[in-house]
Amino acid sequence: MNAIADKYAEDGVASVFLYSNEAHPGEHFPHLTSMEQKFRHAAALRDELGVSRPILVDALDGACHRAYGSMPNMTWIFNRAGQAIYKSDWTDANSVDNALAYYLDISRRRKDRETLAPFTVERLDYRNADRLAFFKGLTRNGRQAVDDFIKAFGPPPSEFRWEDKDSADDAD
Amino acid sequence: MNSDMLQRYNYDEFVPEKFMPWMRFAESPELGVAAPDFPLWRLEDRAQTSLGEWWSNHLYLVVEFGSFT
Repeated sequence: MNAIADKYAEDGVASVFLYSNEAHPGEHFPHLTSMEQKFRHAAALRDELGVSRPILVDALDGACHRAYGSMPNMTWIFNRAGQAIYKSDWTDANSVDNALAYYLDISRRRKDRETLAPFTVERLDYRNADRLAFFKGLTRNGRQAVDDFIKAFGPPPSEFRWEDKDSADDAD
Repeated sequence: MNSDMLQRYNYDEFVPEKFMPWMRFAESPELGVAAPDFPLWRLEDRAQTSLGEWWSNHLYLVVEFGSFT
């Protein structure tokens, strides 16, 4: 998503990351109890996970996140008039890239004086589902995050090995 | 701020009875109408901003929601 932000920045497209609640809390990144902690976790997202887009932090009660459906990693696109024109219950860079190319073409057609009317389309998009990479990501949060996910959705791929630099004694 | 809401939204473990109630995409705002605006805070300087401030200053605004975890 950082690359998509860079790709379209000069076309008048702004891209931000909106920090919500912790989807998979663990020992290293537990559930949020204060704005101070929320800012610390957001800084870790920037510094450790490399999110280079501006990060905007929601209120502690997630007022904005909840109003938009409170999915853990969704993406929305808004136009200058403040209308949502794209919403996706999961974030996928290819899907966002495709949508932005389409909307920038719409802007060009409007400049060419075409008369355009909006309509709604539903479409099922597809994303990469790398379960091993997902489990490796969960280890950053702490053992609890891994164990909770296994209880909810089943075991990790057989190649997965628990690695946690802060709790070597806990290794399988 | 409602303390019960704070605790339920910021759930302490990923178990279905705690995270499933928040999967509300089907109830999210419609496309093509005025979207709800909210105050937000910039990480870089903790200054208050809003979604509206961002969308009104750009041709399009992409918003990815998420967290470290």
